[in-house]
Amino acid sequence: MKKLFAWLALVIGLLYFVLPLIGMTRFSLMMRRGELSFDAYVKVFSDPRFQNTFSYSVMMAIVTIIFGIVLVVPTAYWVRLKLPGLRPYIEFVTLLPLVIPAIVIVFGYIRLYNTSSWLPLTGTAFGTDILLMFGYATLALPYMYRAVDTGLRTIDVATLTEAAQSLGAGWTTILARIILPNVLVAVLSGAFLTFAIVIGEFTMAALLNRPAFGPFMQLLGANRAYEPAALAVIAFVITWGCLGLIQLVSRFQKSASRPT
Amino acid sequence: MSSAVSGTKAQSGAGFRLPLHWLGVVPFAAFILLFLILPTMRIVVGAFQNPDGSFTLENIWGLFTPSILAAYWISIRISVASALIGCLVGFAMAAAVVLGGLPKWIRSPLMTFSGVASNFAGVPLAFAFLATLGPVGLLNVLLRSNFGFDLRMLGFNLLSFWGLTITYLFFQIPLMILIITPAIDGLKREWREAAEILGASGFQYWRYVAFPILLPSILGTFALLFANAFGAVATAIALTGSSLSIVPILLFAQIRGDVLGNPHLGYALAFGMIVVTGVANTLYIWLRARSERWLK
Amino acid sequence: MSFLTLTNIQKSFGPIQVVHDFNLSIEKGEFVSFLGPSGCGKTTVLRMIAGFETPTGGTITINGRSQINLRPNQRNIGMVFQAYALFPNMNVFDNVAFGLKVAGKPRAEIETRVKEMLSLIKLEHLADRYPYQMSGGQQQRVALARALAPKPQVLLLDEPLSALDAKIRVSLRDEIRAIQRQLGITTVFVTHDQEEALSISDRIVVMNQGRADQVGTPFEIYNKPQTRFVATFVGTLSIIEATVADPAANTATIGTTTVKLTEPMGNVRSGEKVSLALRPEALSLTQAGGRDHSVSGTVEQVSFLGSVIRTKLSIGGQTVSFDMFNDPSSKPPQVGETVVAYFSPNDLMIVRD
Repeated sequence: MKKLFAWLALVIGLLYFVLPLIGMTRFSLMMRRGELSFDAYVKVFSDPRFQNTFSYSVMMAIVTIIFGIVLVVPTAYWVRLKLPGLRPYIEFVTLLPLVIPAIVIVFGYIRLYNTSSWLPLTGTAFGTDILLMFGYATLALPYMYRAVDTGLRTIDVATLTEAAQSLGAGWTTILARIILPNVLVAVLSGAFLTFAIVIGEFTMAALLNRPAFGPFMQLLGANRAYEPAALAVIAFVITWGCLGLIQLVSRFQKSASRPT
Repeated sequence: MSSAVSGTKAQSGAGFRLPLHWLGVVPFAAFILLFLILPTMRIVVGAFQNPDGSFTLENIWGLFTPSILAAYWISIRISVASALIGCLVGFAMAAAVVLGGLPKWIRSPLMTFSGVASNFAGVPLAFAFLATLGPVGLLNVLLRSNFGFDLRMLGFNLLSFWGLTITYLFFQIPLMILIITPAIDGLKREWREAAEILGASGFQYWRYVAFPILLPSILGTFALLFANAFGAVATAIALTGSSLSIVPILLFAQIRGDVLGNPHLGYALAFGMIVVTGVANTLYIWLRARSERWLK
Repeated sequence: MSFLTLTNIQKSFGPIQVVHDFNLSIEKGEFVSFLGPSGCGKTTVLRMIAGFETPTGGTITINGRSQINLRPNQRNIGMVFQAYALFPNMNVFDNVAFGLKVAGKPRAEIETRVKEMLSLIKLEHLADRYPYQMSGGQQQRVALARALAPKPQVLLLDEPLSALDAKIRVSLRDEIRAIQRQLGITTVFVTHDQEEALSISDRIVVMNQGRADQVGTPFEIYNKPQTRFVATFVGTLSIIEATVADPAANTATIGTTTVKLTEPMGNVRSGEKVSLALRPEALSLTQAGGRDHSVSGTVEQVSFLGSVIRTKLSIGGQTVSFDMFNDPSSKPPQVGETVVAYFSPNDLMIVRD
């Protein structure tokens, strides 16, 4: 009896999720009247705006990931090693981007770093790109920090450091060649999640007027019928891919750390 | 600020602690300060400032106009609705998988899918629902061809309160599943057995033991889901253009071009958002801490 | 008349059989322990009595009534778990009252009964506390009160002391036994700690790999082990490999000493190997108490255990341990010393596998 209800709950729930996915996929294949085709996808992929904005967002994602790693890994490591009392505060701070909506943060950026301020980032396209990157890094911070912190928890940071130091390694060496490889899986998880976030992000890019993928999708949605569905499918596949890669990488770590 | 603190630290310690320790977190602190704290403070402070910089409560009072209050009200309603339904459905699905006696292999794919779905928000999500519940969407086509009616005839419009709520559920439900599954896992088998051997029926166990234990987590996640929906803007814009006047859309329009006629009103609007999401998240953290204290 | 009877109990999980041919009759008011190492099946049998597992074969009756078709919440059994299992969302009072509340008892009756139980475990002052505010020992006493409040016909305890500190374990087990005596409730106690089982049980069931190796009083289990497993699991034992000298005269040789055994060796031939067991307290450095045989050996190890000094002697290649009480006025044996240890052949037990 219990099983029946359980199956019912699960199936009805999944129906709700499956329907839109089928809907968007079907719609994306309906561009050519009367038959299913990939016309919408062809149009999208050959659209130069798609290529520009998509590559822009991919670039931004990569830069954000690199910045995130360079910022978070040493910080999480340092806090764990030397300043454990600070951990609750840092954790609280890394959760703030989940509390403060992205729109408020970017509003703050515009007001704080416009052309009449002490750091006129929005004055140039490049400056705005930098600002946007910092914005993305802020949005991804909770996920990146939590992933890295979890990864560091599983390795004995203090002992590894002491061992490395006794062998003469300096801080950069320790971080780059000892800590990073051991938390690589956690870092990759954070990286893939960051990628998914950046690719789909809309609010910050739109309000900072940068040619990112999110605003492009919204623009297309306002003007076209079938291409947006194709874009939605592409976006979903990318998100799924990112999370699938995280799973893959985590499974690899589980098997690597199994005792021989 | 940090050097003063580090100075005291060095003196209060055994004397061996060099202030250099604190240098390690300087980059992080600088980043947080410049790109999270200061921008937010700018908004908060700006909400209480006149164009000339003097302190005022005018902007806050300015929020209490019918149109802005209506925006807050509809935002709250959408957030409550999507959070409530998200909690109920998410809990049902999580309970089904953890406690329902379903095959073990179902759990992992469900968790993965929940992870994907909870991140599939924003513009693409709107498109997916347009393609499903919109006028020529999948569901309407199916209903029309098989039953001769469609959702529009029932009065349903995707570009409305319920349309947005149903769309939001796509990431609300998975978020609930992701957060509540560990909590349901935490229900120790011994509690159920102890209740049973003391004579309790399944219903009594749930009513007196399991549900009260889960309640803080459920309530906390409700608060989180509420905050999540309240701050969402991309999906709403992609779905409704700017037609549905929820607070984030209002703020968006205000930032783009001063539609409200008073730039500092934008600050107030944003401040109002921070207050709402801040309160909701504080509730979430407090409730979660309470449940963790019980369960040690 | 047996109050709790287990007849021919079998239990398999898939292809693996974990309980074989388990038979036991427990009298009303008796305190029986299931003793054995991890995985021996003792907890499985307990859970079958409670109803959480169903036997693959055999029957369980309580007070003449078969339990086969009864769910755990219909059996009127009290159970104490290793992990206390107190409901974290309720205070002590509500936890103890739980069984009465779900049975629909009136408020006044519940209050009286709970107060009675709390005074039984001497924790009236903690009625408002929550489990996370109490120590392990306190939680377990509350768990006991909770189990006893609905006046169950049988009390089951699943390794209730394993999660507690050593000192608390000793005081709490005595308390449990005292309460059990006072209430006269039939009790089954599962443990892997033989000192626990020996000190508080009326009878012990020693279990090994799903079977009951021996059932008896603590005295019987300790002094007359029937199998090698029981002999080695309960208490410390030295096993000496001897050779049968003369089956008719019931003698065997240990190294160069010949001993006449009190226990008949049975059907053996001269020259066969026979395993003899000796408790550490059976050996002594003096000849007192009828110890007319002796072996001489070299001291291998001396362990000072407080009130007892345990010495390991090497005799002809075999290790024998013997205990002596700590005497501040005399020196313990030194490693490497040669000593003569005396024993009585009555104390030699024949170990059968």
